[in-house]
Amino acid sequence: MASPAALRELQRELETKADDLNKIQKDISKNHQVRKKYTIQLGENELVLKELDLLSEDANVYKLIGPVLVKQDLAEANANVRKRIEYMSAELKRLDTTLQDLEDKQNSKRDAVLKVQQRIQSLQAGKAKA
Amino acid sequence: MEEAAKKGRVTPLASLFPVEEAQKAVRRVHETLSEKESELDRFRGFISDNTNLINLVQKLPEGLHHNIMVPFGKAAFFPGRLIHTNEFLVLLGEGYHVERTSKQTVEILKRRGKALQSQVESLKATMQDLKAEASFFGITASEAAEGLVEIREDYVEENFTERESQSGPPKEHPPSFSEADKVKVAVEDEEYSCMMSRLDELEKAEYEAGYGNETHEDIENVAVSDEEYARMMSRLDELEKEELEAEFVNERDEDNAKLAVNDEKYAHMIARLDEIEKEPETECGNERDEDEKIKADFDQSSDQISLDKINRFSEEYQSRKLLEQTKDKKSATEETLDKRDTQKDLTDRLNCTGLTVQSRPKEMSHGKGLVHGIMKSTPLEKALVLPEVKENVQAASSLRSEAPLQDSKPGFDSRKAFTGSIIERAHNMQTSSSQQAATSSQSTVTQPSKPVSRFKMQRR
Repeated sequence: MASPAALRELQRELETKADDLNKIQKDISKNHQVRKKYTIQLGENELVLKELDLLSEDANVYKLIGPVLVKQDLAEANANVRKRIEYMSAELKRLDTTLQDLEDKQNSKRDAVLKVQQRIQSLQAGKAKA
Repeated sequence: MEEAAKKGRVTPLASLFPVEEAQKAVRRVHETLSEKESELDRFRGFISDNTNLINLVQKLPEGLHHNIMVPFGKAAFFPGRLIHTNEFLVLLGEGYHVERTSKQTVEILKRRGKALQSQVESLKATMQDLKAEASFFGITASEAAEGLVEIREDYVEENFTERESQSGPPKEHPPSFSEADKVKVAVEDEEYSCMMSRLDELEKAEYEAGYGNETHEDIENVAVSDEEYARMMSRLDELEKEELEAEFVNERDEDNAKLAVNDEKYAHMIARLDEIEKEPETECGNERDEDEKIKADFDQSSDQISLDKINRFSEEYQSRKLLEQTKDKKSATEETLDKRDTQKDLTDRLNCTGLTVQSRPKEMSHGKGLVHGIMKSTPLEKALVLPEVKENVQAASSLRSEAPLQDSKPGFDSRKAFTGSIIERAHNMQTSSSQQAATSSQSTVTQPSKPVSRFKMQRR
């Protein structure tokens, strides 16, 4: 009598915990995607910086802003690209820490889910014996 | 088999590597592999586009202006002129364009091409690893499906006489070897891989140190004309130690004690070997004679333990020996020999060492079965190799036959300790360089009738 109720409760608990786990996993995968994007952009920026360094002082640099090609100063372009690189590395680092937190949470949730499952199993085993 | 007397645990491979799982793993790896293939194709497309662009950019400045059909919108063109033929606006990335001349543009494009190439190389390397993994899984799956069984037995020192009888014709009795082999095979492949990697390191170190030098790091050493032997002995000692370490992992303490004892005896034998080495002979003749002498010494002196150890190391010893010999004899082949662990060098190595190895195993078997060199490899290979080897050996070591090398190596293991076998090479030869990973090489080895990798020799 109390067992079926307890059993149902445990099962509900299990569901909620499983949902949490799924959410965390989705967050982790999103994190991965964003990280990938940032990594690619970072790589591209580094390439651009390399090429800009190879340019002579009087070369004309243009930046494509929408449909417009705007002439830019070489020094300005260099500075911009460097800033972007710094910003992106900082973002990546932040994402890394977030990812780490998410993974820890995921592990703890997984343990909780397992524990609930075990309790359910023991309850069911007890009921079967009784 | 004597091993039958020992108690053993039979474990069907299928229980360790469930067939379905192994097959699923194979499929997964294949999928990843196909993904990488498509990426590789994309990269190749990029590279070809890049080269076309370079050609175009180089051609444009050839004229002051070009008459072209200018695209206008999605479906129209109008005739026009291309002027300023030496000015290019190059997209560097992130929306940045820069004005460059044709030559500068070509330089930028070339640098891009190089970056692409390096990416392609890394992708290819990943694909190789994946292929190795896939083949490993495939072989495991097939073996599990066949119902191959892994037998673990406690390691017990065996009598020398028993060994000799066993060492008889290794080839014809793969099943009989399986038990003995399984004893060693029972040792986890990981241990083998550890040992193998250690052996490889040793080999490389020795190769680098010894290549071209006549000096040996050998303990007992080599003042003698036959430096090869000295080298081999030292290597053998090293191998012994390694093997002892590895064996200690698997075996009981008693065995360890026995091994320790054996080491001493082995050392004695090695000393004797050195003495033998000192006799003046031609290299070729030395090899054979020495082998025989060594065998004789071994026969006389030994107790089974030392013999066992010798046998165990015989493979490596032989392989090393061959390496040494070939090195001395031919610089070209020597290099390849050193890398015998790597599959790519198989062919070369086999050539170099094959000859000497072959002769040795034969002599050994003549001598007593101390070294079961011939046994290991598949009967096919051995048959091929032996006749060739005999002739080659006499001719002098410049011959190259890979097969013999492999054959000889396996022969040693027939009984026991895996001591790196060369068999893998034959397998590698057939499969080309697809399996490079050590692990994969260990496990992938083989199919029942083929020469087995060092680690799996016994499986045959």
